[in-house]
Amino acid sequence: MSEDKPLRYQETGNIHLDFHGAVNTTIDFVVERFGLEVLDEIFERVGKDVYADIRAHLMAGNAEELVRHWRYFFERERADFGIEANDEEIVLIVHRCPAYQHAKKIAPKVSAHFCDQTIKVNQAMAEGTPFAIDTEITGEGSCRQVIRKRR
Amino acid sequence: MIPSDHFPRFYNEVFKFLERQGEDVLKDYWLEISKNQERHVLDLFGEKGLEGMEEYWTHIRDEENCDLDLRRDEGMLELRMHKCPSLSKVLDNDAAPMGRYCDHCAGWIGPIMDKLGYHLVYDVVDRTKPQCVMRVFTDERRARAAEKYTKLLMDWPGKKTT
Repeated sequence: MSEDKPLRYQETGNIHLDFHGAVNTTIDFVVERFGLEVLDEIFERVGKDVYADIRAHLMAGNAEELVRHWRYFFERERADFGIEANDEEIVLIVHRCPAYQHAKKIAPKVSAHFCDQTIKVNQAMAEGTPFAIDTEITGEGSCRQVIRKRR
Repeated sequence: MIPSDHFPRFYNEVFKFLERQGEDVLKDYWLEISKNQERHVLDLFGEKGLEGMEEYWTHIRDEENCDLDLRRDEGMLELRMHKCPSLSKVLDNDAAPMGRYCDHCAGWIGPIMDKLGYHLVYDVVDRTKPQCVMRVFTDERRARAAEKYTKLLMDWPGKKTT
């Protein structure tokens, strides 16, 4: 893995945080119209198709590309977060999620399923790879995301 | 978190699913997004008119890194998009693009303009290229005349046709 190689979707320039509000609206629309299973299905497509490159790295036994993705985009959105690693696991600790906080700021209500975007996309990226990615919601706009080798 | 940078690629997956459910479902969704956007723009557009629209899209141009020009005269605002970052991301994507991705813009903007009494003429030009021309008129006759010179005129939920 080369640290110099750009991410598959390396983005630069300004960021438009209001998109997190549109995600919130979309989640509620899909759940109300079609149910939670369909929302999961859409996030599965995001995890498997949109993030096919991260998934390919995981398939090849490389979790570092996902860690690079996390670090790059959480830094870009000025999250309060940390990443810890040991022999057993890599842990992303999100103390203040910029997506959740921004949705809370601009939407009348944050969807009860807002964090499913993280939980389900992580699951989909890891499915069928040597890794499992578990997401534990630890509070409002905070979570732990843990990459472990499957046994 | 799906990064805000990657929202268009998520949006694209949502559109693909909704399109399979039918045209009405897709239009209902655009209306929902339009209602969501009202919170950001309705007062601004209502109070300041074309000037407020120019203000909003100037902000969007900067935040979303758009390559676009804005031009305003007494009764018209023109937005000429040279490189749309949203469609560009959908095309630069490991997932397949939704063929009518561009339609969502008129889909949310049109109902707001109708509500405020403005006349939108949205020319996507070519859905495979990240370029378009949007014009908002105060005078309906001017809008109808401008429609004649469009290449791919967009529709939206509730659009009046003459």
